[in-house]
Formats: sequence, structure tokens, C-alpha cells
Amino acid sequence: MTFTDFSPLLTILFFPGGLFLMGVGLLYEWLDHKLVARLQNRIGPRWFQPFADVVKLLAKEEIVPAIVNPYLFVGLPLVGLAGALTAALYVPLMGLPPAFNFPGDLIVTLYLLSLLTLSLGLAGWNTSSRFSLIGATRALTQLFAYEAPFLLALLGPALVARSWQVSEIVSRNAGQWLIVTQPIGFVVALIGLMGKLELPPFDAPEAETEIVAGALTEYSGRGLALFHLGKAVELVVGLTLVAALYLGGIGNPLEFALKTLGLLIIMAGFQSVLTRLRIDQTVGLWWRYGALLVLLQWVIWIVWKGLSL
Amino acid sequence: MTTESLLQQAESLLATMSRGSTRPETNRLDVVIESSGLVPAVSALKNARWGYLTALTGLDLGVEAGVVEALYHFCSDAAVTTLRVRLPRIGGSVPSIYQLIPAVGFYERELAEMYGVTVTGMPDDSRLFLPDDWPVGVYPLLKDFDPQSAQPVKVPPPPRGSSTGERFIIPIGPQHPALKEPGHFEFTVDGEIVTAARMRLGYVHRGIEKAVEQRNWIQSLYLLERVCGICSHTHSVAYCLGVEQLAQVEVPPRAQAIRELIAGLERIHSHLLWLGVAAHEAGFDTLFMYSWRDRETVMDLLETVSGNRVNYSANILGGVKIDITAEFAEAIRRGIDYLEERSRHYLDIVTTDTMFLQRTRGIGAMTREQAEHFGVLGPLARASGILRDVRVEAPYGAYTRFPISAVTAQAGDLEARFVVRLKELFVTCNAIRTILDNLPPGELAVKVPRRIPAGETISRVEAPRGELFYFIRSTGGDKPDRVKVRTPSLCNWTSVLHQAIGCQLADVPLLLAGMDPCFSCNDR
Repeated sequence: MTFTDFSPLLTILFFPGGLFLMGVGLLYEWLDHKLVARLQNRIGPRWFQPFADVVKLLAKEEIVPAIVNPYLFVGLPLVGLAGALTAALYVPLMGLPPAFNFPGDLIVTLYLLSLLTLSLGLAGWNTSSRFSLIGATRALTQLFAYEAPFLLALLGPALVARSWQVSEIVSRNAGQWLIVTQPIGFVVALIGLMGKLELPPFDAPEAETEIVAGALTEYSGRGLALFHLGKAVELVVGLTLVAALYLGGIGNPLEFALKTLGLLIIMAGFQSVLTRLRIDQTVGLWWRYGALLVLLQWVIWIVWKGLSL
Repeated sequence: MTTESLLQQAESLLATMSRGSTRPETNRLDVVIESSGLVPAVSALKNARWGYLTALTGLDLGVEAGVVEALYHFCSDAAVTTLRVRLPRIGGSVPSIYQLIPAVGFYERELAEMYGVTVTGMPDDSRLFLPDDWPVGVYPLLKDFDPQSAQPVKVPPPPRGSSTGERFIIPIGPQHPALKEPGHFEFTVDGEIVTAARMRLGYVHRGIEKAVEQRNWIQSLYLLERVCGICSHTHSVAYCLGVEQLAQVEVPPRAQAIRELIAGLERIHSHLLWLGVAAHEAGFDTLFMYSWRDRETVMDLLETVSGNRVNYSANILGGVKIDITAEFAEAIRRGIDYLEERSRHYLDIVTTDTMFLQRTRGIGAMTREQAEHFGVLGPLARASGILRDVRVEAPYGAYTRFPISAVTAQAGDLEARFVVRLKELFVTCNAIRTILDNLPPGELAVKVPRRIPAGETISRVEAPRGELFYFIRSTGGDKPDRVKVRTPSLCNWTSVLHQAIGCQLADVPLLLAGMDPCFSCNDR
């Protein structure tokens, strides 16, 4: 056994996966909160607020309700976070080539990202509080609403590159800003990401004015912190994915920072100017407009490709 | 129709039920009826479309007299007709008129638990204000109520699980992030659709109506101002107007104008606060933050003028104690100009923002007929096309000299309620400018005697949420004998709880916010 065998372990535990990724995730979460706050004429949190929240939550007692299945209650946050962290291994984080890749890893990445939402839904169902149940129902309903259009939108660049492997799509499309040729796909992907992250206006699953904190109402301490971290990681992974596929690839850390932050600013803008959608309106939006528009985009692209051959 | 002819019409409508009638004040008619004559009397007024039921006052005439009275007050413009039902102090009973006038439900429950009057045929006779552990048979508003007798009793915990059966109930409050105020609602839902709604009040009931009876006329003013944290000035105006009527003193015109001016600023404060809350309930936090930032302007103005941000304490019996100097007037003008411009912007947003309109247009629409049936008041009524505004229907104080025009809309949905309230801001701004330009010179207050002559009076003023009703009775002493406060929120609950049924759960918070509920006002 040679010394170099430890490098995958380092990749997963510290850089660019693991701890480093969680740090970046929390930093991005802070940026998002700060941007929204400034747009809303508020001062917003200081940079270490998300870190402080996580540390505080980890230090607190975790209250496990009496009637839940304790294994599920403890395990689901782990599964969700693990899914998000694993997904990070297949995307070009920080402009570095993905840590692992194989043909078709784009699909795997997307489903690993959905694992967090599924865990959230199960967690809400498991705690069987009324607010959690409604939150879980809404979270899963929303999952079925945005998942297909989001997937279709990310497959657009894959079609162009004729590969379902993230690293290949990025290298073959390098320098091609697909946002220009596939604007609809880009918009659907970005808004799909907001749906995935349950950011306003897609925050019906955790609408505090109706159902307190939705599926996570009964969570406290460690479980809540892990779900929180999972969301933060998913934010970075999602932004990286959209930037890599639509904004001409990511070659170095500077490019990564500029492109993902650009997307974050657009998302913060959407978050502050839009009103929360009801869950039926969310579903209607995705299936009536999102999915159809992406399909239209595909048809246009295929026809154009056919004519130019 | 003039007040006089309205009262004559009411008198002839009630002639067959009447057991004697009096005219205590020029705009009032008191008709004594038997409790068996109540339903026919109310039907007669309702069928003739004579006004609306504004309040139900319980009145204990004391142990010697042995009589409790239930007073049903009907208003039509400035005319007030009161049906007085005399009942024995113990074991009195009146029939419920809920079938005729649904808004009476909450008043009847209050009458029953505060005075021990049995109201037969109430659809819901559970406790509304008194706590669950309040002993049975102890009625706090009776004159011989002994606080020692109100020791908490043991109540069995509510049955769990099985009794609710298959129903899925979403409890909201008294502690819930959607509702920062202490009320409790139970919404039965089927998926996302609400199929039943119930509510319970009284978590912070302070017994102010009872406390006022132990304080002198001046102390009561300060206590009543604290009924509400938003429309505190309106409460003190209503009380002052009533006491001044009883004492028959004329308030100087400058004081009246200053009262209207501060009421205007208070209305701006209240409506901007509401705009923020409603936007937050809809999930539009940006509008919430902006409108509350702008609300600081009017809060600062009120602080400049009165020294206080919440309970301005501007009124004294017989006038006001603060003056508007040229310097203040200039500050108010500047502030108003800014707020008017901002309000135009917000009106533009709530009527054009597509995403926001998805949550308000056509939601919770209440037709004119429904609004009349449920007896709603204030902006809620005006959004359904009913011109119901005491400042216009029965102008009081300076509103005769500086009249305002009422804003109405036809749609009756949530959007219309936003529009009505925002347009009221413009009307109010204009009224404030007119007052500042034509502020009458003169004294700020006149002297009011320490003992107020015996009598009964009714004073109605328009609070930001609708008509505020005070019934004041003096027996000639230095303390009030009875002060009944009926706040606008209590009237409007009935309609909103009915409307919630069939709505999406997601629309319920906004629907509740749409009536601008004030829990502090409910739990006097």
C-alpha cells in the first residue's frame, strides 16, 4: 500500500468534498441570506451566522418524539446529507475536474440530489405531527412537479455534447455558452434548482405562516443541523451543475466563483420579488409551462440539428 | 332619510312588540320589549332593512333592582334603535337570534358567560372569553361578582385521538408562527381544502370593562386607551365623546380638529402595518419589509407630536392635551407627502404584480349580500361595496367640518381589501393636509366635572378596522356604571370563519389577515 492511496480519502473528507464543501455551502447560504436581506432593505446576518447556527444546533439536545421510529428519525438526516455530498463528487467543484466519473453520472447526480428531498418527505411523514405531515406531502408533491422539467432542462446540454457524463459534457461544450442557444432550458434549470432548494416562491413545503416549519417541525439539534448542511451543500452542487452545463463550463476556481455567484444573485432577485406560490400553483406552473417549454426547446434544437446536417 | 324619520320608521315597525319606548337622545330610540318579542322585533327590523345590529350590551341594574338587561343596538346612519329586554337577574333567558343575524353568535356567547343569561338555541355555546377552568355559575360582569369565587376548577383534559375520528385538524394558535397573537383556530382539512373552522378567544382577556367600573372617569380614559395597541387613540376618542355627551360639554373646535388629525395619522400607521402583515402571510416578505420601513415615518411623526409611539395619550376629557405647532405641522406635511408617494407605489404593486394577484384576486370574495348578512364592518364591508363608515354616515367631532369621502370597491375579494385600505391612505393624507391648512385657533380643552350626570349614551367612531362602539352609563357618581366596548374585529370574525370553508389551507392565513384582526381588541 503506497502513500498516494490516501488521496481519494482526502478528496472525500476534506477537499473539495466533505468539510470544505460544507464550509462553502454555508458561505453561499450566508451570501444568499445577505443578498435577499439587502434587496429587502434589511441589514442581514454577519458572515459567520450560518456556521454559528450549525455549531449551536450540533451542541444542542436532539429531542426524539415518543411515537416516531427512532432509527428513521436519526438516520434520515444522514442519508440526505450523504446524498448531497456524494452528488458533489460528480460535478466540477471549484473548477477542478470531478473526483469520480462514469458514463451516465449526470442522472446519478440528479437522483442523489433528490435523495435529500425524499429524506425530508420521509422525515416529515415519520414524525407524524400535523404540520410535518402536510409539509411532507407538499415537499413530495413539489418534487414530482419540478423533477421532470429540471431533469429535461439539464439533459439539453447533454444532447448537445452527445454524452450523459458530466465531465465529458463540460469538456466537449467548453467555451460554448448554451444559455445563448438554449435560454429556456437555462431558465427552467435555474428555477428548478430554486424549487429543489425550496426557496421562495417555492417555499410552500415550509410555509411558516401555515405549517410552521413543514416537514422539519419536530426536528431539533443534530438532525436539524444535518438537514441544514444538506441544503447548503445542495445549493453549491446545484449552482455548480447549472453553471457548468449552461455557462460555458468551469475551468478554474475564479470562473467557478464568478459564475456561481452570478447565478446566486439572480436567484436572490427572484426570491425577493416573487410571492409564495400555493402548492397547486407550483404544480401547475411546472407541468403547464416548465415541462412544455423545455420540450419545445428540445424540438427546436432537434429540428435545427436535422436541418443543418 | 333624516335621523328623525328613521327613528319614526323604527318606532312604527316595533309598535306591536313595544312595551314602552323613550327617546333618551335626539338620535336614539329605546324600545322595551319582552324576551318573547325579541325574534319578531329583530325580524321586523331586518325585513324592513332597517340598519344593522351593531352590538349586544349586557347591563346589570344592581342587586336591589334585580334586573339584568340585554340591549340590542341597531344602527342606521346616525340613528340608533335599542331593543331593551328586561330579565330577572338569576335565570333570565332570551332566544338566540343567530338564525336571523349570524354576527350575533359571539355577542350572545359573551352575554351568556359574563351575565349568566341563558340564550336558548345558540349553535355554539362553548366558552369564548372565560378560561376553561373558570367555575360554572360565576358571572364576572354582574355587580355582586366576588373575585374570590372565581377559583380555578379542575377540568378534565380534552379527549385525545378517538373523538376527532377521521378528521384531520390543523390547530393554529395560541402559539404559532403564523399568528403572533393569542387566538386559537381549528381548521379541519381534507387534503389542502378546509372543511370546518372554529375559534376560541380570551387567552389575554383583561377584564377592562369590569376594571373601568372600579376607576373614576379620568382613570378609565387611560385604561380604555390601552384596549388596543394600534387604534388606541380611537378608543380614547370614543370614550371621551361619550363622556362629553353625558356631561354636556362642548369641546373646542381646535381640539376636535387635532383629534381627527391624530386619528388620521393612526389610520395611516394601522393600514401600513396591516399591509406588511398581509404581504408576509402571502409569502411576499419584500413588501412586508418595505411597508414597515415606511411605517416608521408615521410612528416618528406620532412620537414627535405626542411623545409616544403607541399610546399617544392625546385626549383628555373635554379636549386634547397636545397642540400642533407650526413646526410640527411642517414635519407632518413632509412625512405625509413621502408616505403618499410610497402608498401609490404599493397600490401599483398589489394591483399589477401577477404573482401577488394569484394569491389575492378572486380569493375569499364576499358579495354585497353576504357582507350584509354577516354584518361586516369597516374596510371589509367597503371592499364589498357597502358604504359603511361612521365618519360619513354619522359624522362626529371634526368630521362635520373636515369631511372625508369613503372609499369603496365592488369585488369583495382580498385584492379589493388591499385597494380599499391603500386608497384610504390617500383620502386620509388629504384630510390631514386640509386640517393643517385650516386648523381653527382657540382653546385646547374645557373643564369637565368630576361627577358625570346620570344617563346613558352611545358613541360610535370609525377605527381603522371598522366601527368602534361604546355604550356608557353613568349613575351620577365619579365612576362609570358600565362601559361596553364592542370592537370591529369581533364583528368580522363570523364572516371570515364562514369564508374559510372550502378554501385552500394556504389561503387561510391571508384570509384571516384580510380582515385585519386585532386580538387585543377582542380580549378587552
